[in-house]
Amino acid sequence: MEKKDKNSIVDLASELRWKIGDNFHDKLTESLYTDASEIASQAIEMPGNERNYSLDRKIDRIVTSKRFGFPIMLGILALILWLTISGANVPSGLLFTLLIEITYPALKSLSESIGLIWWLDGLLIDGIYMAVAWVVSVMLPPMAIFFPLFTLLEDFGYLPRVAFNLDSLFRRAGAHGKQALTMSMGWGCNAAGVVATRIIDSPRERLIAIITNNFSLCNGRWPTQILIATIFIGSLVPSSFSGTVTSLSVIAIALLGVGFMFLTSWLLSRTVLKGEVSTFTLELPPYRPPRFWQTIYTSLIDRTLIVLWRAVLFAAPAGAVIWLVSNIHLGEITLANQLIEWINPFGLFLGLNGVILLAYIIAIPANEIIIPTILMLTVANLKLAGIGAGEGVMFELDSTLDTANILKAGGWTVLTGINLMLFSLLHNPCSTTIYTIYKETKSAKWTTVASILPVIMGFVVCFLVTQFWHLFA
Amino acid sequence: MDQALINLLIFVALIILGWISYKFFGSREFLQGKLKRQKTLTEDILKQLYHVEESNRKPTLDHLAGALQLKRKKILLVVEQMTTSGLVSLNDNTITLTDEGRLYALRIVRVHRLWEKYLAEQTGHQPKDWHNLAEKMEHMLDEKETQRLESSLGNPMFDPHGDPIPNESGEVNPVVWTPLPSYAIGSPGKIIHIEDEPEVIYRQLLDKKIFVGSHIKVLKTDNNEVSFVCEGVEHQFSTIVAANIHVAELSENEMFEEHAVRLSALEYGETAEVIGLSEECRGASRRRLLDLGILPGTSIEVDLKSPLKDPVAYRVRNTSIALRKTMSDLILINKN
Repeated sequence: MEKKDKNSIVDLASELRWKIGDNFHDKLTESLYTDASEIASQAIEMPGNERNYSLDRKIDRIVTSKRFGFPIMLGILALILWLTISGANVPSGLLFTLLIEITYPALKSLSESIGLIWWLDGLLIDGIYMAVAWVVSVMLPPMAIFFPLFTLLEDFGYLPRVAFNLDSLFRRAGAHGKQALTMSMGWGCNAAGVVATRIIDSPRERLIAIITNNFSLCNGRWPTQILIATIFIGSLVPSSFSGTVTSLSVIAIALLGVGFMFLTSWLLSRTVLKGEVSTFTLELPPYRPPRFWQTIYTSLIDRTLIVLWRAVLFAAPAGAVIWLVSNIHLGEITLANQLIEWINPFGLFLGLNGVILLAYIIAIPANEIIIPTILMLTVANLKLAGIGAGEGVMFELDSTLDTANILKAGGWTVLTGINLMLFSLLHNPCSTTIYTIYKETKSAKWTTVASILPVIMGFVVCFLVTQFWHLFA
Repeated sequence: MDQALINLLIFVALIILGWISYKFFGSREFLQGKLKRQKTLTEDILKQLYHVEESNRKPTLDHLAGALQLKRKKILLVVEQMTTSGLVSLNDNTITLTDEGRLYALRIVRVHRLWEKYLAEQTGHQPKDWHNLAEKMEHMLDEKETQRLESSLGNPMFDPHGDPIPNESGEVNPVVWTPLPSYAIGSPGKIIHIEDEPEVIYRQLLDKKIFVGSHIKVLKTDNNEVSFVCEGVEHQFSTIVAANIHVAELSENEMFEEHAVRLSALEYGETAEVIGLSEECRGASRRRLLDLGILPGTSIEVDLKSPLKDPVAYRVRNTSIALRKTMSDLILINKN
């Protein structure tokens, strides 16, 4: 009898289930939300802000209009980049003088006076201190200018409108309109760009934005691009045009980065990331006057200092490695020269050289120290006397001509220059960024993809350019 | 110069080789052992037989060979084995499922439909990919995993195409539907099922944004064509295509939304009231829209159109929210 009862209950339940229908859950949630909003609307009084709304509307009609939307956007972007690049020169120079031209010799003489063993002196001061000081002096000023400017725009409410204007382009590549913002942030610093992807609330599009952020030419790479373009490309044309040609070639590299960003987004969204959840909504918040000091403060603390701290943490051990490879001897030659000899054939095959590849391996913590490392390794490799600061000590020269002479002595041609510019765009993210990607995705798989994919692209692009160059030149 | 040309040729050759090996090794069949391939084939045949029997036809070997795109000889070999293991019985040329065979087939159908539901609700896969992904997965889950999947999905009754999902003991609730071409002209109805095979027709329906759950009214039917209104848009389909859309009458507690249109049809200066979200709006997207307060009765208007037309920002509850057309197609409104 009891069993029969049980069965009849189960039967009734399954019968009712079919009667209620499949979208019962959806209907239930919908009615819960509706009730909640009704209760809320009864309980909450909204202060009238109609006047603000009409002003907002006027601004919106202009900044999202067909005629003015894109010019305004490009103008603001160009202004920010210009302010960052040209504005950072002075404080960068001051920091460089303070940390490297004044403090470094002082530390050296201090260690001499207390009689520090030569290798400890080298490892600590020439290696670790030098790398950290270098990263701080080159990295801090641009970030301290770029991030506050960016955050001010964000606070004003303009940035969501940029995402709104550009979403159509990003949609076609399978990405989110807000990726325009994280990409621009990447022009300041890729690690910060990766953190900024938190604003993208759709899992698939966020991963795409993280993996492709490295294609934004970051602050650390602009000076490399400008230097190499001046030496190898600007010199191809009469000197009255060289400035323009140099700028145009650097801009071309940055735009190529944007192209690779779109291409990679498109590929990722149609292959490996196809199954990730994707949704799109974009809130356009009301405009408001930016809170100036608060913005400056938070952007310095949250973005600049955190990124800088991570960079310093990674630069210190790298400085040690850079010094060690140049000072450990394997029989007759240093470890660095041995490594260069081994990877040189592969480097030349790609149209680069062993010095460049080794520099990209040991200077992984920051793109800022690539050129000093290349110079140091080249001088050490060629055993050029009288140039540089000693084995394992990074340096830079004031004169572009002297730099050009060292590189040309190292066997660099126009092709090497072009390839270095390409490889500087298309190579693994710096270790700070890699660590940040891992922190943000919590996935070894996506971190690996984000790190390896650009290097492979860089190898392929350099290889193709080199072969076609040989074919036609 | 010659060396460069050779290098480039080697590079191209490597790419082609990589592509070929991806196509070749990437297909799962190659990686499967013989036993597993046999199992997959057996299950495919069972499922095919089940579908043919459901449509009241008599399955033959030729039919199977055609449907599964395999040689007749190979199929015969497997069918003979299935006969000895008691899954099917073979008379002359027709094959019938035994009770045990039918139960097995239903288990496969069950996994297939549950997996389609999972793909629709919890992943970002496109509707056109659901079927093929489920075709692979149906051979991989055992009964326990299937049960876990079912309860994690909240024991759904239908797959995203509107097919009923068999329960654990292999029972299916029969669903009564009418193919669109034979549905009564002028009387309100609801799309309750869209056939996902053949793929060509299904894709055509996806392109026209015909969704399960939409209310429709047939305007005109003749031998070649059916025209009907669905969410404010008039459609015309050939009878063959329209026959893949299955319709039923509205239940008692459903109201026919005669003037319902999609949010994407709203223009500058018009205001409207939200009726609700389409059944096609699923998973994360559905929750997001509800979170934003796009609920029945909410008033909504166009705030801004982006310079490239898509997305459009709508004003809801004093905030401006931009939606892509793919999303605004899934919100039903009544224009004021």
